[in-house]
Amino acid sequence: MQGQRRTMMGNQAITQGALEAGVRVAAGYPGTPSSEIIQNLAGAADEHGLYVEWSINEKVSLEVAAAASLAGLRSLCAMKQNGVNVASDFLLHLAGSGIRAGMVLVHCDDPGALSSVNEGESRHFARMLELPQLEPSDFQEAKDMTKWAFELSEEIGNVVMLRSVTRLSHASGGVVPGPIPQAQGKARFDHHGTLLDKGHGPVSSSPVTYKHRLQQEKLARAVELFEDSPFNSYVGPEAPELLVITSSICNLYVKEALALLGAADRVGVLKLGTTWPLPPKLLQRNLERCGQVLVVEEVIPFLEENVKIAAAEMAGEIGAKRFFGKRDGTIPAQGELNPDIVLGALASILDIAYQARPEEYDRLAQELSPQATQDRELAFCPGCPHRASFWSLKEALALDARDGFICGDIGCYSLAMRPTGFGMLKTLHAMGSGAGMASGFGQLGRFGMDQPVMAVSGDSTFYHAVIPALINAVHQKSPMSLVVLDNSGTAMTGFQPHPGTEANALGQSVPPVDIEAICRSLGAEVTVCDPFDLEATQAAALALLADQATAKVLILRQLCALSPQRKGAKPYEMRVDPEKCLGDQCGCNRLCTRVFGCPGLAWEKQSGKARIDEVICAGCGVCASVCPQGAIIKSERA
Amino acid sequence: MNTRGPRQLLAEVQQPGLCIGCGSCVELCPYFRSHGGKTVMLHDCDLPEGRCHAWCPKTELDLENLAQELWGAPYSSRGMGPHLAVVAAKAGPRLEAGSYQAGGTVSALVCAALEQGLVQGAILTGGRGLDTAPTLATTLEEVTACAGSKFTAAPTLAALNRAQAQGCGPLAVVATPCQATALAQRRAKPWPQRGAAGPVELVIGLFCNWSLDPQGLASFLAQRVELDSIRSMDIPPPPAGVLQVQTTDGSLEIPLDDIRDLIPTACAICPDMTSEWADLSVGMYEGRPGWNTLVVRNEKARALTEAAVEAGWLVVEEFPQANKEHLVFAAQGKRSRNLGAALAQGLLGVSGEEQPKALRVSPELYQVVESGEVA
Repeated sequence: MQGQRRTMMGNQAITQGALEAGVRVAAGYPGTPSSEIIQNLAGAADEHGLYVEWSINEKVSLEVAAAASLAGLRSLCAMKQNGVNVASDFLLHLAGSGIRAGMVLVHCDDPGALSSVNEGESRHFARMLELPQLEPSDFQEAKDMTKWAFELSEEIGNVVMLRSVTRLSHASGGVVPGPIPQAQGKARFDHHGTLLDKGHGPVSSSPVTYKHRLQQEKLARAVELFEDSPFNSYVGPEAPELLVITSSICNLYVKEALALLGAADRVGVLKLGTTWPLPPKLLQRNLERCGQVLVVEEVIPFLEENVKIAAAEMAGEIGAKRFFGKRDGTIPAQGELNPDIVLGALASILDIAYQARPEEYDRLAQELSPQATQDRELAFCPGCPHRASFWSLKEALALDARDGFICGDIGCYSLAMRPTGFGMLKTLHAMGSGAGMASGFGQLGRFGMDQPVMAVSGDSTFYHAVIPALINAVHQKSPMSLVVLDNSGTAMTGFQPHPGTEANALGQSVPPVDIEAICRSLGAEVTVCDPFDLEATQAAALALLADQATAKVLILRQLCALSPQRKGAKPYEMRVDPEKCLGDQCGCNRLCTRVFGCPGLAWEKQSGKARIDEVICAGCGVCASVCPQGAIIKSERA
Repeated sequence: MNTRGPRQLLAEVQQPGLCIGCGSCVELCPYFRSHGGKTVMLHDCDLPEGRCHAWCPKTELDLENLAQELWGAPYSSRGMGPHLAVVAAKAGPRLEAGSYQAGGTVSALVCAALEQGLVQGAILTGGRGLDTAPTLATTLEEVTACAGSKFTAAPTLAALNRAQAQGCGPLAVVATPCQATALAQRRAKPWPQRGAAGPVELVIGLFCNWSLDPQGLASFLAQRVELDSIRSMDIPPPPAGVLQVQTTDGSLEIPLDDIRDLIPTACAICPDMTSEWADLSVGMYEGRPGWNTLVVRNEKARALTEAAVEAGWLVVEEFPQANKEHLVFAAQGKRSRNLGAALAQGLLGVSGEEQPKALRVSPELYQVVESGEVA
């Protein structure tokens, strides 16, 4: 396949680049839009002799990758934007100690939060921790730049950060793959030299100021290399009216906008692939071209501020510039960009009459869209155990009648902030924060707070960041209840294995780490229940709420409806007995379709009865327990 | 008939604290449930009209309309509701001694009604100690197992709704005035869309001055005794003025003045002391321990009483006129006080008005209440 242009997803291109660089070890924690990188490398592990793992969290994954680098193996670590926050404490120290074999941290941002509850900007870590930052702007570059990142890392002796975004990671484009080298070299960690011997001594960020100076010298060496990097390019007239400085996928938006406006002869585009630290000579050459600069980038004005600092420093040579970007509102500082937004900005600066979306278009679109598409809320899948879990938790909290509430966490069940989970989550922040906040709320009884508090956590999240919070709650005697929604896999990101599963990323059999046993060993009382048994789950939740003495755990264990382990089988055949169905009469009022809301249930307006949509129904059988009339009938499948 | 839906029920009854937790709306549908003495709504229901609202004794209780429908007579500020006789009663030799509280008249009447085949089962309030367990009893043993007074409001009618859903009937219900009122609402406002008349054949009402909030009482007692050790409770006739709590370790007397704060707001607007809407009403007999006062309100009740005496379940004696006058005086006193309280809280109205009201009376009675001239 080598040499032939192929269509690759951005994450696949990054994988290919890493393989071409001879990566030997890769680790990460699943998180959209980064997950396919580790997944693809795991798939290639056998063929290319790699070790790949899904680590318990991002910090540990970075530590695993760093170990390989110190033992002389090229390594890669991948995570989503906020994963860098989790890994950052280690990253700070690793940046100080330096590495040996090439090590690349791929961090994938999610502008617009398409699959996140934040649109965090992870490039700031490069500046804050003094590491070089690369940003590929298309699919070929994603591959080439990843490969080069390993060389750069070895050249300077430090980690290199490579940032992708959702529209690069998850979109596809043409890539010409190169050869993948044979795996070679024995792993060995050399530690017999002196503390100051960076190639052979112990590895640490101490002595700090000495190592810090070395780190800054490495960064300066990176800048030298950036000055001539082919990943930075200028396209446009020698003396344009406006200079656009951009990076990442925004380069494509700029190209498209200029083509649509027919303004390519008036505007020059400096596309930067090496965005931190900025190469000053390259910048000066380009800033000298004209008096107006527009910076196009997503989320926070990272590039814009760094360009402005550089421009101020060279003001004596290049004079004062007029800047457009996020700081003056030309480009929004929230949400994803697209060609229309860039087009609007360019048209206004260049004074071109152009409306990206004519009013007539918007009017027509609004008129037609209700007919063409149905307005749908995000919803749990048919047969999702979370719907059943939140149903019982909702009823238990209502019965308890003390205005209790649930602190949410990160996973599919985050959707329980919305109607599909009956709006049950009242806080939602970072991985593990539900349990931590519940531990805190639980202490407020002494200030008169009489609302009971629960936290939910998925199984993968439990390992990732909930355990310390639970230990805190047990140790501080916080009367909170942790409900572990154990659907036996990292469902939201695509069923990656986690410490509770019986196989690792490479498909090898590994000992599962038992959540129940962990909780018991911490001293928490533990109840285990099948969330599809609504009565038992409600009773268990009520028992948790009634005991306000200590931290307690309820594990609601039921396989995800989409789990590959289910093999698509329907446990039950479901049907509605129209004779028994009360429909919208007093006594039911469409409880199943109006409130429970599983997509497998349909409301027949004409007959005034509920119906099972056999195509959608997953056959979990829960709605039979929800129906007050026994009108929904489940029968075992033959 | 001013029947509205569950959202209005919440706004008119639950939120202002007027819910007494009688269980009338509980388990009629999947939305209302009772837990720990509180009636709660599990999920939102947006029906504009529902049985929960129609049958609630604490909203749109049109006393004049009910009296006309069920008694064929106006609702009066005087007396203690229609009745044929008031007698002294106690359990007869058929009921095992020691298995009942006070005179045992209620248990005796229920046993007689079951044995007679008048009913197939009885809705009672069982449960040990502070626990109140709405129960369907279908055997004599199950009836006597429920003997004993409860002094907290109980969701007894939830058991009726459950029994009705299962097709049980005909049934007797032993009801407090609020529960008997809820059953009167059912008779006056049937719901033909959901089938014919309910299975209630006989309502044995209890005298009641007020009840105690279950959660409030539980927290109050928890500071004084082990809740699990409570076996039974009693309020002996005046002038004792105490709540007696029997525990496995002995007994405890709590002055009634100490627990008056635990009386729910809902009791303060209840005009009924003697369960006027029941077929028979039973209460204590002041000054004659071991006996009850039995009010026989209609022919069905008279026939049951006679049959119970004949079968040896019940013993009756004449009830002195002076005691009857005292009883009527007390019943009028409660009605007068509490209609006045309802008026003061803006909860009293007259029939036919749009504005939601907890209670409605005839314009004439309204004027009487307004003038403060009620008996």
